[in-house]
Amino acid sequence: MPGTTAVPPVRYPPVEGLRVEGRRRDRPPAGSSPVAGYLFVAFYVALLLCIGVAPAVYAIALALSTPGGVGFGHFVQTFNFFEFAPAFEHVFEFEGIWLASQTFFVVLLALLVHTLKRRVSSAFRFIFYLPGAMAGSASAIVWLFMFTPNTSPWAFILHGLGYQVLPNTVSPGNLPMIFAIMAFFTGAGGWIVIMYGALNNIPDELIEAAQIDGSSPLQTALRIKLPLIRKWVVYMLVLSFAAGSQLFVEPQILAVATNGEVPPQWSPNQLAYYLAFQQDNFNNAAAVSVDLLVIGLLVAVLLVWRGKLFSVD
Amino acid sequence: MLARRYVYVFIGLVILLVFVAFFGVPLLWLLLAPTKTDSQLAHESPFAFGSLTTFANTFHKVINYQGQLMLTWLKNSAIYSFGGTALALLAAIPAGYGLALTQFIGRRALLAITLVVMILPSTALVLPLFLEASEVHLVGSVWSVILPFAFFPFGVYLAYIYFSSTIPKDLLAAARIDGAGEWGVFRYVALPLARPIVGLVAFFAFVADWTNYYLPFVMTYTNTEYPVSIGLQILIGSAPIFSPGTPGSAASEIFRPDLAMATLIAILPIVIIFLFAQRTLVKGMLAGATKG
Amino acid sequence: MATVTYKDASRIYPRANSKAVNQLTLEIRDGEFIVLVGPSGCGKTTSLRMLAGLEPVDEGDIFIDDRSVVRLAPRERDIAMVFQNYALYPHMNVAQNLGFALKIAKLKKSEIKTRVAEAAKILDLEEYLDRKPGQLSGGQRQRVAMGRAIVRQPRVFLMDEPLSNLDAKLRVATRSEIAALQRRLGVTTVYVTHDQVEAMTMGDRVAVMKDGVLQQVDVPSVLYDSPVNAFVAGFIGSPAMNLIEGTIGPDGITIGSTVVPVPRGLQQAAGTGKVTVGLRPESVELTGTTAGIPAVVNLVEELGAEAYVYARLAHTVDDTRFAATPDFIVRVNPKSAPKSGSAIELHVKPDSMLLFDAESGARITGA
Repeated sequence: MPGTTAVPPVRYPPVEGLRVEGRRRDRPPAGSSPVAGYLFVAFYVALLLCIGVAPAVYAIALALSTPGGVGFGHFVQTFNFFEFAPAFEHVFEFEGIWLASQTFFVVLLALLVHTLKRRVSSAFRFIFYLPGAMAGSASAIVWLFMFTPNTSPWAFILHGLGYQVLPNTVSPGNLPMIFAIMAFFTGAGGWIVIMYGALNNIPDELIEAAQIDGSSPLQTALRIKLPLIRKWVVYMLVLSFAAGSQLFVEPQILAVATNGEVPPQWSPNQLAYYLAFQQDNFNNAAAVSVDLLVIGLLVAVLLVWRGKLFSVD
Repeated sequence: MLARRYVYVFIGLVILLVFVAFFGVPLLWLLLAPTKTDSQLAHESPFAFGSLTTFANTFHKVINYQGQLMLTWLKNSAIYSFGGTALALLAAIPAGYGLALTQFIGRRALLAITLVVMILPSTALVLPLFLEASEVHLVGSVWSVILPFAFFPFGVYLAYIYFSSTIPKDLLAAARIDGAGEWGVFRYVALPLARPIVGLVAFFAFVADWTNYYLPFVMTYTNTEYPVSIGLQILIGSAPIFSPGTPGSAASEIFRPDLAMATLIAILPIVIIFLFAQRTLVKGMLAGATKG
Repeated sequence: MATVTYKDASRIYPRANSKAVNQLTLEIRDGEFIVLVGPSGCGKTTSLRMLAGLEPVDEGDIFIDDRSVVRLAPRERDIAMVFQNYALYPHMNVAQNLGFALKIAKLKKSEIKTRVAEAAKILDLEEYLDRKPGQLSGGQRQRVAMGRAIVRQPRVFLMDEPLSNLDAKLRVATRSEIAALQRRLGVTTVYVTHDQVEAMTMGDRVAVMKDGVLQQVDVPSVLYDSPVNAFVAGFIGSPAMNLIEGTIGPDGITIGSTVVPVPRGLQQAAGTGKVTVGLRPESVELTGTTAGIPAVVNLVEELGAEAYVYARLAHTVDDTRFAATPDFIVRVNPKSAPKSGSAIELHVKPDSMLLFDAESGARITGA
């Protein structure tokens, strides 16, 4: 599975999956025995239980077990750590910048690429997509160089902003922006490819009808194409939000590279890691992990439940 | 009217080129950096080309660093990624088939849970997994990395979509009437038709496993266990330019071009896969998207 | 309202050798309902799309009224189009679909509302205005597509196989509705279909195309009675005209071993040699005074008011050269229909025979 911000390059929305499981599919297909079904999913279910469910349950149990019995002591304790609130603030600020810019630019670029001839557009898509190969620590390293004024191809911008050395660039106020750029760099291309595919699925006839109805290319993009890929945009937003809340690799690499200039408890996941490995307090680490797990689960359950919303059209 | 149209086209083109630069320049820089020495890198233009000799020297230096540590890391990455991908396929393909084309109690619930854990970022489970693994004394074993990699709900979902949209139930019914058992139907009818989805799931699983950082970061402890994604961080830690105060960094002599080279080596397998898989990828993606 | 003129208009697909539309010249009068018909790949849809501005015109010109439109974008041509798959915007409800073009044209909200309501009334869509296209039946969607065209009050309607997605019964009903609506609105209409029955029942005039070339354009009755060539003759009419080989001689035309008399003028025009003889199913009777062409009944299709006899001409039965030729079809009174397997004689009604050049297929007409 991918690193913190590395959304897998291509994903399908779960929408169709929910739609097909309507009533009619509940009728058993001719002649299949129920036992066979269990055998086919057995290995996966075993993994699901051991890798998915068990650790979550164990973490919850650890977080809830206090010296005085079952309670929220560890949650309260971690909540009161001075690193706790800033860590969540950092991540939400990062998410705000990242999600807004990713949504805007991915849609814009997909619409632009879609106006090009297939051959040309495939070259553009490939260039946008290629940084996906650098998901995780590789992208963090490359961007370290990009943010270091004396090695960066973007030195003119950095100097323009008054940055002379790396610590200038990675000042605390800039960090959310910096991580947003890194996340956009590796993740946007995959989403552009997805949006492009979604745009391609709009029948030509519909675009022609809009032309005949008098709409200009710009109007067609805004009034026809954009509303028709809306569910993919929502899907991207939700998935990215969930992934972004788990930010870990990028601040971790920056913490190492700047020798502590970036604090090692910058994001909640780092905080949980710090509690487990630096303070050897598994219960507190579990409490923060459970906080994060709940955010992720809430988002996931919301999307799966609200999936019905998508099947209207 | 016409003039305005050209203005739009021009603006669009400029935006596209700006982003080509945004996405492309770091890659270009990464290719050029190892051709230069550290001081060239600091003083020459970022797009200057050093020499192929320097490139080769940097390559050898990185490979031979601390008793070919780089090769150990790459080997570990390969073990984790191939192992994880193989197991993920073994689990996901039959599971997708079972969810799509067989009937059992709890099928819909399993599907819903799969969707939830698919959206749930895997990182959210890493620390709980560590807590569990340390309870059962698996930390430090290759299985502590490979088994979590094998759990790949996104692959299950892809396989489910594929089987339910491309294989008609009548086809399976026909095979059953022809005398095939449940296993026979899967093995001789569904599996041969599933080749594209096997490739697609393998692709996503492998890329995700290779670039994964957090899980092995938590589960592995020594240089001989690290995959290359963590190796890169070790190299940064020993590069004096970024970590001037790190003890022992002066002796380890990792400079910026070396770091760029190491990054290049680390991403090479994925870049190669991207190059070869591009067509399949787009095709697979579109197949999924047409379903709506 | 407007006239439409194609002037030597051609469309050449890059990388293809032949022209998709080859020097089409066609004048469409103001308020006229003209149907472009032909087998698939004949260039009828391309011709329509050239007029719409969705395909470029590579050679020649197209005028709406006196103004050349080939350099205009579709939205500058003041046309409306009904698409084969309706092309309704799935994210808009019926009212929004109908009003989209007006909104783009920046009409006042109140004006849009009135015109949408008007169109909805004409097409009986009033109760569906809030629905999305996905919630409508095929027939309702088709009407929305029509409505979207008429709210525009354009100079020309373009319709590209608008009925092909309806089931047979609805198709027949909608056929007459569209024709009636067009007559009522009086808007010049270009209609494309592959179905010659649709063409014949709807069009003021019908233009038959084949391989990118316009074959004949005329009112339906003239196309039926007086086709310019064997292609039009065989394409128009259902069941199709029987086209068989014959040899012209001094006594008439020899089909198999039977000599059938031919009107003098026609015979002189035909000269001597091989010709293609065209006989409509109603041009032949099973009884007559002179010798008929012997045939064997293959099958009888009873339709109630009439019956069709599918027969094999006797001289083609055991001859492999004729293996692929279709059965000869004769319309008969169901009360006196022969049994299958029985031998019959085909008698050509006087003056009902059409002759075509055996090579070029061009019609041979008497003086």
